[in-house]
Amino acid sequence: MNFPLFFKRILAALACVGILTFATARVLAAEHAEAPKAVAGQAAHAETPDAHGHDAHGHGGPDSSDIVQQFGYSYLTAFMFVLSLIVASMFFILIHHLFDAAWSVPVMRIAEHMANLIFPWGFAALLPIIGLALAGKLHPWMPLTDWSLTPTAAADPSLAVKSVMFNKLSFTVLLLGIFGFWAWMARSFRGYSLAQDKDGAAIWTRKARFLAGWGIFAFSVTVTVAVFLLMKSLQHQFFSTMYGVYYFAGSMWTTLATYYGITRWLQRKELRPVILPNHIHDLGKWFFAFTVFYAYIHFSQYFLIWNAAVPEETFWYVLREKGTWEHMGFLILFGHFFLPFLLLLRIDTKMSLNVMGPMIFWAWLMHYVDMTYNVMPVLYPKGLNITLWDPLCFGALVAVFGWAWLKDFRAFPAWPQKHPRLKEALVHHEIPKAGQAAAHH
Amino acid sequence: MAKAAAIPAGVAAKADSHDHHAPPQLKVAEPPKELEREPLVLNNRSLTWITDAIAGVCEKPMPKWWWPAFILSAGTMGMMFSLIAYLISTGVGVWGLNQPADWAWDITNFVFWIGIGHAGTLISAVLCLLRQKWRTSINRAAEAMTIFAVACAGIFPVVHTGRVWFALFPGYLIPFPNSNGIWPQFRSPLLWDVFAVSTYGTVSLLFWYTGLIPDLATLRDRATHKVRRFFYGLFSLGWTGSNRHWSNYEKAYLILAGLSTPLVLSVHSIVSFDFAVSQVPGWHTTIFPPYFVAGAIFSGFGMVLTLMIPMRALFNLHDIITTRHIELMCKVLLATGSIVGYAYGMEFFIAWYGGSPYELYAFKNRAFGPYWWSYWSMITCNVISPHFFWFKKLRTNVVFVWIVSCFVNVGMWFERFVIIVTSLHRDYLPSSWGYFTPTWVDVFTFVGSFGLFMTLFLLFIRFLPAISITEVKAVTPQADPHHPLGGAKGHHH
Repeated sequence: MNFPLFFKRILAALACVGILTFATARVLAAEHAEAPKAVAGQAAHAETPDAHGHDAHGHGGPDSSDIVQQFGYSYLTAFMFVLSLIVASMFFILIHHLFDAAWSVPVMRIAEHMANLIFPWGFAALLPIIGLALAGKLHPWMPLTDWSLTPTAAADPSLAVKSVMFNKLSFTVLLLGIFGFWAWMARSFRGYSLAQDKDGAAIWTRKARFLAGWGIFAFSVTVTVAVFLLMKSLQHQFFSTMYGVYYFAGSMWTTLATYYGITRWLQRKELRPVILPNHIHDLGKWFFAFTVFYAYIHFSQYFLIWNAAVPEETFWYVLREKGTWEHMGFLILFGHFFLPFLLLLRIDTKMSLNVMGPMIFWAWLMHYVDMTYNVMPVLYPKGLNITLWDPLCFGALVAVFGWAWLKDFRAFPAWPQKHPRLKEALVHHEIPKAGQAAAHH
Repeated sequence: MAKAAAIPAGVAAKADSHDHHAPPQLKVAEPPKELEREPLVLNNRSLTWITDAIAGVCEKPMPKWWWPAFILSAGTMGMMFSLIAYLISTGVGVWGLNQPADWAWDITNFVFWIGIGHAGTLISAVLCLLRQKWRTSINRAAEAMTIFAVACAGIFPVVHTGRVWFALFPGYLIPFPNSNGIWPQFRSPLLWDVFAVSTYGTVSLLFWYTGLIPDLATLRDRATHKVRRFFYGLFSLGWTGSNRHWSNYEKAYLILAGLSTPLVLSVHSIVSFDFAVSQVPGWHTTIFPPYFVAGAIFSGFGMVLTLMIPMRALFNLHDIITTRHIELMCKVLLATGSIVGYAYGMEFFIAWYGGSPYELYAFKNRAFGPYWWSYWSMITCNVISPHFFWFKKLRTNVVFVWIVSCFVNVGMWFERFVIIVTSLHRDYLPSSWGYFTPTWVDVFTFVGSFGLFMTLFLLFIRFLPAISITEVKAVTPQADPHHPLGGAKGHHH
């Protein structure tokens, strides 16, 4: 590997992303400037209370100068990031069992421990969000509701229609219930897997498959509801049938990048006997696949809303086309899709730690940007505003969850010892020639 | 997701040179007996038996049922073309279309057939990239089905324009430089459909043909009649089975698989844009692209089962299209049916959540309005019926599976009917409301499209190997040098 050349290429790629991000935003800004009336029309709508989370009477909107709200929004952004890793790990386990997969056996413990971060750590991390939300520091609609299920926000029709879901009681009970269900499911899957380590009995596989069978339905519904309550409801007027899938797609992308990094790290340590170049390649391929899937989902959501131009939907993106949020949008377009897509196309780059190492950090950065893009415009409608809370919240949550994961990983066998598909997972025949060399260096 | 140790077709020897095993110190136990995977070719069949069984279908005289089936299908196809001639000579008024339902059976049929055309390329391309070895027994027929379904689908959007010469010549659909400077409306998703479907059809045809080449050479070498030998020889492009040929073939196949995968997603996503880019309540919903793709895979696999189960029985191919294959296809139906069910639920949820009275009315009207029967037919067929496949007993009962696959076909037609007609028939103004009823021309044109589909399919099984001979051989134990029966070690029947 020619390192100077390699770094030059990486820098060139990043420069391209930067130029495209800012240049495109400039071009579009110039185009908008030519049609002041249209913009004024849009902006007028965007300035309505709906767009910024204020109710029809102008109260209840977030205050960007309130230090508690600054902390709350930063914390929520970081929380949605780490929740992505947990939720996607749960999905990884579910489909592993549903599809009777073999290739994923060596990395199953990585997923099982990550999913189990939901309890107690996920729960503990959720409590401040519930507290802040109930105190009216997060979701702008919360002060308009109370602990009953009856409509209390008749002044805001879009809130009144869903008052059964949008009130203090439902918010608290639903989130605690969903997190409790996830905790039970994650604990059960890991319990079956650890029990099979001892006796290798088929019954544990059968139990896991049965749980995965109905669990996938419960999972899809609970993820959708949780994401709606935690993140989408920051602007409760916005509705998109794709939103749950959108969060899921980004979560899988980041989580697969994380698995890739952990697997490469453990390849020469605890997982040495079971990780073959093909497993690395498989993880790289899934990372690539979800690069495309996320782009497909986000493009579809944006494109359909933009093309139909229904004001009840467009306000969400109109807000995110103001100030530096527009640059963030283009950063997601080029950085979340084009850069990883082009870099991951080749087999050898998927196997090269020199490419994939920076790519994992880039994926984390892009997913954090994506979460910021979803959460922060509500508090800072004029543009991106980074406070000290952002690195503090993110750093603290990642450190705690990372430490907890590592503690669990060290406490149990590093891979499912007697998994019925372990043997199959260790006889991968087809290994890309170019990739083999890269994987060994 | 599920993936076994894989040897791509024809490269067993190449894969061997890259083989990696777990370090010798790691002792891994065999899986418990009850969790062992069933073989993909039953009864330890030899390579010769596989060639004879598959090539024999198109070499031996056709069974007695083939001619009546062909005549019936061709007759039905003829009826469709006659009705199209009637429509073109008279006008689209012969169909039941009228304000406010300007689209009804025509576009329903188009989306229905395009959806069916998804399974073939999905099985060939996506499952190939995922190294799902079980695809080898069903991919060829499914690919053929794709092409025939796309041919059926292509008829309806062209014909529904009425004056088809405008659709094909400068004007509605085909961009063509002309002195009047008339161009199609490039911002219309219908025009994107033209490009998406034609690209998909072309690549699917290339993919199907590329896969056929080694098998056509096998038929050429076995042909006893010079006409057959000439045509098989012509289309097998001088294939000798040399290392160079295999190497080029594998590269081409993989590239086409890579190209086809985004096409599978794009075609039905663009078909969904026909509706979702609009502002019509019931059409404009952001989940439409992945929901349409999942629905297309669902309907495609439904049709694959509908055709493969009888074919397996009629040509005695039970050792190649095994119960395991049928079970796996049932699981795909279950998975995609569930995704479709999630989308149906999500649409209702957002109609309530969004608080738009028009949106909510559109969905209430679907379920409880004048077309309630179509909505509940769709729910029964698409959401409820696949859930029988949770039970192994039902997944392994081929008669039951065939019946459910027919339900899926019916349900997916109803899905498109529900989306199109129930969203259109009641406009914002109650004075504009209407009720669409098909005419006999509507009904028999659709029935006739099945004639076209079946005619092409019957010709396909008559003249071409309906299962990929080379790819099935590659998943047998003989092709795996590490298998106890691998290479020349075993005794095969």
